[in-house]
Amino acid sequence: MTAETHSDRSERNAFGLDWLDVSLLGGGVLLLYYVVPLVSLFLSVPVGDVLSRMSDPTVVDSATTSLLSASVSTVLAALFGLPLAYWLARTDGPVAKVALAVAVLPLVLPPTVGGIVLLTVFGPGSPLGEVAAAAGLPLTRSLAGVVLAQTFVASPFVVVTAKAAFESVDRTLEHASRSLGKSRLTTARNVTLPLAGPGILAGVTLAFARAIGEFGATMMMAYYPRTMPVQIWVSFVELGLDNAYPVAILLVLIAATTLVCLNTVASNPWD
Amino acid sequence: MGLTLELSRVHKAYDQFDFGPLDLRVDDEVLAVLGPSGSGKTTLLSAIAGITAPDAGSIRLGGRELVGLPLEDRRVGMVFQEGALFPHMTARENIEYAATEGGRAGELATLLEVDDVLDRTPSTLSGGERQRVALARTLATEPDVLLLDEPLSSLDAPIRTRLRDELHGLFDSLDIPVLYVTHDQRTATALGDRIAIVRDGDLEQVGTPSAVLTRPNSRFVAAFTGNENLLEGTVAEETPDGARVRVGDCDFRTAASAPAASTVTVCLHPSRIAVEPPNDATGDRAANAVSGTVCRWLNEGSAYRLDVDVGTAQPLAVNVRPTTFERLSLETGAEVRVLVPRESIHLIPDGA
Repeated sequence: MTAETHSDRSERNAFGLDWLDVSLLGGGVLLLYYVVPLVSLFLSVPVGDVLSRMSDPTVVDSATTSLLSASVSTVLAALFGLPLAYWLARTDGPVAKVALAVAVLPLVLPPTVGGIVLLTVFGPGSPLGEVAAAAGLPLTRSLAGVVLAQTFVASPFVVVTAKAAFESVDRTLEHASRSLGKSRLTTARNVTLPLAGPGILAGVTLAFARAIGEFGATMMMAYYPRTMPVQIWVSFVELGLDNAYPVAILLVLIAATTLVCLNTVASNPWD
Repeated sequence: MGLTLELSRVHKAYDQFDFGPLDLRVDDEVLAVLGPSGSGKTTLLSAIAGITAPDAGSIRLGGRELVGLPLEDRRVGMVFQEGALFPHMTARENIEYAATEGGRAGELATLLEVDDVLDRTPSTLSGGERQRVALARTLATEPDVLLLDEPLSSLDAPIRTRLRDELHGLFDSLDIPVLYVTHDQRTATALGDRIAIVRDGDLEQVGTPSAVLTRPNSRFVAAFTGNENLLEGTVAEETPDGARVRVGDCDFRTAASAPAASTVTVCLHPSRIAVEPPNDATGDRAANAVSGTVCRWLNEGSAYRLDVDVGTAQPLAVNVRPTTFERLSLETGAEVRVLVPRESIHLIPDGA
């Protein structure tokens, strides 16, 4: 310890700063770059003005659409993503590697491209789209379309984060539970899930945050009903920047709530 | 009445390592499985517990085939190296999770002296307490076989010795086969009714502790059980009651026998050799006596270890009691007579 401290000190430069201070100076610029625009957003419109516009039907409608669709998308992502994450965490070999790469694909694919590939399967011209539309459940320009777009883009967060959480559970504990006469299901419920819980919750939280902010794929799949990001775009283009503020502030507040959740009940995967 | 565990032709191939094919039968007894790390001890337990599936062979428990059964249906209890307690449950919850309906969770907690720590979580328990809870948890399932994978290896010496002595009594009260894996010869001989020496995935020797210690059937077993004196010798002649073996400048008469002119490894366990002053012949007259000089000594706590140069290729290692060491002033340079009883000499045919 002493030797380490000594070498740290010997790296002080001419201004008497060590490298940790210099790192913070550089990084601090970046932190300001994040914070200043956010503060500026809250200062750019009078609070009373924003509050009065919160009850505007376009704001209420878009918030309702977003919260509803993002909740459904998150449930779907968890329902299908958790089993996949568990399987990936407990399987080795080339098949699992390929499966993981496929699960990560939507994360690296530009969202608008995601929207396009979804349209080829669910769009008005596609067989599946035709059948669904004929059955009275159109998969584009509908809440279903929003959910399909959001699930595509957001579910990999559940898979990747929960996989890491499952992997952090020592397999010996699962073996111990089963050698005590408990089935795989009982073991998963009583040992694996509780221990992986905070990590799973983090994945679900991130998926929800991603779903509620989804714009690119949603634009392609469902311009109506408008989600909050789409409403921001419409307000900005049709009525000017000022009119986009209320929804933007709502989204900032939701993002802040997500962060609080990550740092309390869930385990922050980047901590 | 306990069931019998029977392994026959159990085989498992790994990239760099072949386990088995191996046959083993364990009755109502404690079988200490002793071997160096990487010799396949844990693979053996994993195969019985169902964590590892063997490529071939059968594992039967009271006639019931275990291979192919999932872990949870085997009724095989396993105590893992670090205890493998569930970290999100208290000690009590760990034990109760395992306990069968109307089981004896409370009784076991008392038996293993963990009553006072039942409401604590595993991370706040000491290593010894953790293993006690783990053992109570496993026994609460009332298993048909008990497997233990080096449960004492991470404990400090005094706690290890104490828990080992308690385990001895506990195992006696169980009427089931117990397999106890360790790399420590003392633990193996203290706890095992029989010892199985494992080497490179195969059983090298299985026998009672005294048989394995005094009559190792290979140099490996001898060396691994603390038999330091492994001397190259030639059988000079067979005698009516044994043999006469030439080792370096020394002649040893042995109770063991081997064909004349064959080369053998002569095993003299350091604890079964005595020393006396050079001109004070009070010891065993029937024993082989050779003169030598102490060339090194080590205080090992409960005994002194002497290296005595007697004119063989390597010095003889002799364990003496501290009182003997002090009474005879056995420091470096001391002249001594080494007494090797004929019955203490074990011969291993060359090539074993």
